[in-house]
Amino acid sequence: MTAIQLYGVSKTYRAYEGAWHTLWEMVSKTRMHREWIALHPLDLDISQGQVVGIVGTNGAGKSTLLKLVAGMLMPSSGTLAVHGRVAALLELGTGFHQEMSGRDNIYLGASVMGIPKAQVDSLYGEIVAFSGLEDFIEQPVRTYSSGMAIRLAFAVATAVDPDILILDETLSVGDGFFAKKSFDRIIRYKEAGKTILFCSHSMYQIEAICNRVIWLNHGQVVMDGDPARVVSSYEDFLKKLERPEDIVGSGTVSPSGQEPRLKRVEVSVDGRIGKELTARSGLSDLTVTVEFLFNPHLAVPSVALTITDFNGWAVASASSHNDHLVLEPAEEGRCEVQVQFPRLPLLKGHYWLNVFLLCDQALHLYDSAERVAAVLVEQEGIEKGLVSLAREWRVCGESYYPQARELPAHPLVTGRQLG
Amino acid sequence: MIGTNCSQCPSLSRTGRRLFELSVAGFLGPWRVLYREHELISLLVRRDLLTRTSGTLLGWGWTFAQPALQVLAFWFLFEFVLRVKVPGKVAFLDYFLTAIIPWLFVNETLLKSLSVMDDYSAVYRRTVFPLKVLPLLPGLVTGALYLPIYVLLVAVLEGFPAIGKAALIFLVLWAGVMPAAYLLAIAGSFVKDLRQVFPFLLNLIFFLTPIIYLPEMLPAEVRQLLVFNPFADLIVAIHGLLYNTPVTLGNVLRPVLWWMLLLAPSWVLFHRAEPHLRELL
Repeated sequence: MTAIQLYGVSKTYRAYEGAWHTLWEMVSKTRMHREWIALHPLDLDISQGQVVGIVGTNGAGKSTLLKLVAGMLMPSSGTLAVHGRVAALLELGTGFHQEMSGRDNIYLGASVMGIPKAQVDSLYGEIVAFSGLEDFIEQPVRTYSSGMAIRLAFAVATAVDPDILILDETLSVGDGFFAKKSFDRIIRYKEAGKTILFCSHSMYQIEAICNRVIWLNHGQVVMDGDPARVVSSYEDFLKKLERPEDIVGSGTVSPSGQEPRLKRVEVSVDGRIGKELTARSGLSDLTVTVEFLFNPHLAVPSVALTITDFNGWAVASASSHNDHLVLEPAEEGRCEVQVQFPRLPLLKGHYWLNVFLLCDQALHLYDSAERVAAVLVEQEGIEKGLVSLAREWRVCGESYYPQARELPAHPLVTGRQLG
Repeated sequence: MIGTNCSQCPSLSRTGRRLFELSVAGFLGPWRVLYREHELISLLVRRDLLTRTSGTLLGWGWTFAQPALQVLAFWFLFEFVLRVKVPGKVAFLDYFLTAIIPWLFVNETLLKSLSVMDDYSAVYRRTVFPLKVLPLLPGLVTGALYLPIYVLLVAVLEGFPAIGKAALIFLVLWAGVMPAAYLLAIAGSFVKDLRQVFPFLLNLIFFLTPIIYLPEMLPAEVRQLLVFNPFADLIVAIHGLLYNTPVTLGNVLRPVLWWMLLLAPSWVLFHRAEPHLRELL
């Protein structure tokens, strides 16, 4: 069943030299504006239950598309049909009245969405509890931090069980605890077969949550389909836009100021710890030790790391969540995990190591330490490429293994394997 | 010549029909919005009234006490300080008070209409907010402030049965200012200078309206000019309703004509302005 249909929908914004010109155009119907196209005529069919990610650079038309579907903008041409109740959180703006209290804004937000007061009365307690703003709910929203306001907005928008949920860059706001709660709720919506339109610059989140991705550029659809394929193409496109100065590494842990957070990241090659290391291809063992702090009331976060070449292209990655490993804390609120890449199969070159701390579902990024260490890989021989693949040669029925490996008896990671 | 006129008839008739339809839409539109969005409107009106008095000891009481104090101040001024006496069967104080409160209602409604879109811009630019609700708010909030004191005043002056008349006066005034409120809401959003000029214009209209004087006190040639001021007719009609003073057909028709002339443009322009308001940077 179709949830959202667009036939030839376009959006053109009008630029006026002054407000007088706008007024005069309205009164006289004399053209007084210049136009710029935010969205070219677009045909789109989104089925119920699809989780659609919208990606694109700034000005690509993502927010315009979401606002059109939400009903906040009127299309300049075409027809748009939306089936079901829509809840939208757009532009990190909450749509709250700043002078009103949190309580009144709950009723205001729900009323704007067409929810009867009686229903809001029954949902009120749950909305406040979900937002975690019990102590501030009678205060004017102008006294709230942006995180508090978005928590309340998210709680209102999602409490009324919308058929279509539209989220624009709102998921990373708020503390780790709330981010996890909101992700859990989104996943529940996904599992309940709700339609979600989700716009983010985090390709990781897009790929993790969505089952369809639309890449927009200059108001046109460049690609539409399988998340892995679209995200990969989009990331290639972004790489081409990157300037060399954008990829100079800091080699430090980025302090996020929020729990959970990385406390220590240590990279070693054959026991030598450092930020600039040299390894021998196929011989050296690369070990990464990650220590992080977290709220003991939350599920233990997961750890991921990527190895990128000096242009920023991902060469390999590993994550505790993907490896079905639940990390166990060393003590309350602190965990240390070590992962080893034995006999590093990378071929010669310079590589960066990046570490990420994510929620237990590996959806929300809590903290990161990008380009935390540079590894120079040296090799013998003239093998080309980025990695040396394990292989078997057969000659006259005889097998030959040029890179016979002896893997460690047990993996050098601490944790509990999921069943 | 006749043939030429006849050939224009269909288009004239179409224009007339269209104008009539739009005027009906302009009349019914605000009432429909009021009915459809009554919960949202009720919330916003209550909130506005609460905000005015938040942090005060008297709280809600001020919404009644404030206009009551205004009436008391006028009563003291005219009864004990100026001791104004005018010919006729209605005492000047009664004449003045029953006119000034409706005027204050109209004055405040129109002034607030100029800025109401800006006041809520943070809300409607980020949500699917029904914009046509907003121009209704100033009239409802101001009405909630002035209607109780007006009803009380009329009850004191004319007896309890007259309170129905007081409510009717406010209802007619509210419906009467709605087209102007919609127009001013748009104009105030796009022409900010209007907010500076408009209080002066309203002052001018106030002095040209027989509220602090009786029409009979004006020289005959100046009095004739009052036919161009629909508010002057409204005041005459209000006094006619309350005190059975003479009211001409012109006193009723002229404000109605002004109102009807504004119905279609106000609704059409607001409708046209909606996308601009949402996209206004």
